[in-house]
Amino acid sequence: MKKSLRLSAAVALAATASLTLASCGFGGGGSGGDDASGTTLDLLVPSYSDNTQGLWEDVIAGFEEENPDIKVNLEVQSWDNLESVITTKIQGGEAPDIYNGGPFAGFASDGLLYAAEEVTSPETFSDFQDSFIANAEVDGTAFALPLIASARALFVNNALLEQAGVAAPPTTWDELLDAATKVSALGGGVAGYGMPLGSEEAQAEAAVWLWGGGGTFGDADAITVDDPSNLPGAEQIKKMIDAGATQADAGSTDRSPLMDIFVQGKIGMQVGLPPTVGQIEENNPELDYSIVPIPTQDGSPFTLGVMDQLMAFQNDGDKQDAITKFFDYYYSADVYVPWVQAEGFLPVTKSGAEELSDEEALAPFLEVLPDAQFYPSTNPKWQATDGAFKALFGQLQTKPAQEVLTEIQAQVDAS
Amino acid sequence: MSTTIDTSSTRAGAAEGRPRPDGPSVRQRKPGGRDLVAALPWVAPAVLLIFAIVLFPAGFMFYNSTRDISISGLDQGSVGFDNYVEVFTFPYFWPIFLRTIVWVVAVVGVTVVISLGLAQILNKAFPGRRIVRLAVIIPWAASVVMTTMVVYYGLEPYFGIINTFLVDVGLIQTPEGYGWTRNPETAFAWSIVIAIFVSLPFTTYTILAGLQTVPADVLEAAKMDGAGPARTYFGVVLPQLRGALSVAVLINIINVFNSLPILKIMTGSIPGYDADTIMTMIFKYIQNQHKVDVASALSVVAFLIVIVIVAVYVKVVKPMREV
Repeated sequence: MKKSLRLSAAVALAATASLTLASCGFGGGGSGGDDASGTTLDLLVPSYSDNTQGLWEDVIAGFEEENPDIKVNLEVQSWDNLESVITTKIQGGEAPDIYNGGPFAGFASDGLLYAAEEVTSPETFSDFQDSFIANAEVDGTAFALPLIASARALFVNNALLEQAGVAAPPTTWDELLDAATKVSALGGGVAGYGMPLGSEEAQAEAAVWLWGGGGTFGDADAITVDDPSNLPGAEQIKKMIDAGATQADAGSTDRSPLMDIFVQGKIGMQVGLPPTVGQIEENNPELDYSIVPIPTQDGSPFTLGVMDQLMAFQNDGDKQDAITKFFDYYYSADVYVPWVQAEGFLPVTKSGAEELSDEEALAPFLEVLPDAQFYPSTNPKWQATDGAFKALFGQLQTKPAQEVLTEIQAQVDAS
Repeated sequence: MSTTIDTSSTRAGAAEGRPRPDGPSVRQRKPGGRDLVAALPWVAPAVLLIFAIVLFPAGFMFYNSTRDISISGLDQGSVGFDNYVEVFTFPYFWPIFLRTIVWVVAVVGVTVVISLGLAQILNKAFPGRRIVRLAVIIPWAASVVMTTMVVYYGLEPYFGIINTFLVDVGLIQTPEGYGWTRNPETAFAWSIVIAIFVSLPFTTYTILAGLQTVPADVLEAAKMDGAGPARTYFGVVLPQLRGALSVAVLINIINVFNSLPILKIMTGSIPGYDADTIMTMIFKYIQNQHKVDVASALSVVAFLIVIVIVAVYVKVVKPMREV
């Protein structure tokens, strides 16, 4: 009797200890809702930079001044946590009213979102660039509002290329391999091409190579990662790694830390984003670099476009008006343009693009934007695809290309 | 220790506070409903707490593991045990399971061996002992995530100080260092080192507390009988540490099995599943694949594994038995 009591005491101890992890999912969120004075909107956004919180606070302050009966609660999360936070909130019936994120088709197909036209005035809606709004459509209805766009381009360390005797930045894969091998041969810890296939943003580097070789991730209806057209890109990645043209351990290197190494001047070439320009200016203004289009198999122009969206969740029907007011305020050129500019991204509104057309740092990116290809983010399986790339694509370093593509496809199909 | 037939007055006095086994006593009868009601106000908070933080989450976790939860977190009905099928048919499940065992055995084993030595040193009087004892607590006082991040950054290629040091002394040939946290084997090995480091203080102090209960006269007697240091340690000290040691091992097994942060940080950027334990796999199901349902199923499996390990351990070692 006594012994079994002790046994159960030990088991209870084990239970308590092992549940600490499981019970993490029960984190509560603030309870929005209406208070006596008017409507409260919950806004959940990721942090793009150290400025993000301040920028949103300015927008909210201006908005609340114009609409004293509406209060906006801001919650800023890191990109790492964002998707877990939104999932937990939805599961707990605490979805934010407005959410800034990437993949949205899963929410739309669960019937959780307002259509974009329901929460914007016709003027605001017609101001979006057509290609962007088309990218936010599920079955012909836009369920998300484009927020910002970014395009990728190749950042080139001019000094290293010159030292290695490379005359001009590469435009094709062969030239890139040649140039990167030469730069790597300089020694002293210098790498020719920075290839981040680690979990942070493996899907981006994957797109750069697979699509640059004529491949595709699929479309709104089907995800086709395991497709013969993706093989040349994957094989080329292996070729780069095997030739020693990249940094060591490409398969598990994350993008942000690797970009820091580029900024320090130890990497010959790496694919970067508009905010990278500001990062270099701030940390190593002496770096002699140029921005050129991403090399592809045959040299044809291409860039990976990424668009983040705002979406509105249907919580209580009576918030639709307040959400509409907020979006109309936010997308007015006076509010929106300074916001996009401060974050270093590209605008998605026609009025915004006009105002920023003479911005020098953005010019190389605005130039490649017409050739942008986007992730198939309207496919409900895109979220799973994104996760599969992050978890598995880096295995290219050690496994055969075909095997990796098959494994990613299998994980997507099983979701 | 020594038995006397002398019944002194103090003995009789003490007996008044406690019912004598042979004397007539009302407290001898079996505890009935009245007693239970009377005890309720005192045990109710504890019972409520156990229900709220142990039984309810466990039940909810089990419930979730039998549901189909969509990627955005909506419950779409029951799927029976399909989630468990997915957990066990995952091709990397058994390697991950074995790695979890290696992880627990290596960390707990090495921790206990080092702690036994450390506790022995700290039990000796020497100048500055208090400072050394404090120093041993530090890994305990620091946040695990912080400790791990310090090592992680130290191991980074290009700028990590551990890598720079190894390059400077000529152990690594590549000038940017070696990607310790980029390869599954080395990242896992370093994680074990960190886990041992953060487990040491608790284990050492538990054993130290045990050492201080070893009576000096027993040690003296051993010395008188001519036992050498090794014989004294293994024949006299170690058996008396049984209680402290078995509690320390039990708590360490549970803790280490359930440890996520160290492995999450050290092996997080590695693609594939070659450095995962069950805990990081649960995390990957949630974070990468957004499968809260399958993650719950694996959590239930992990929960059962811990209970089985603990039950076997309790049965074999009987850690709660008085020495």
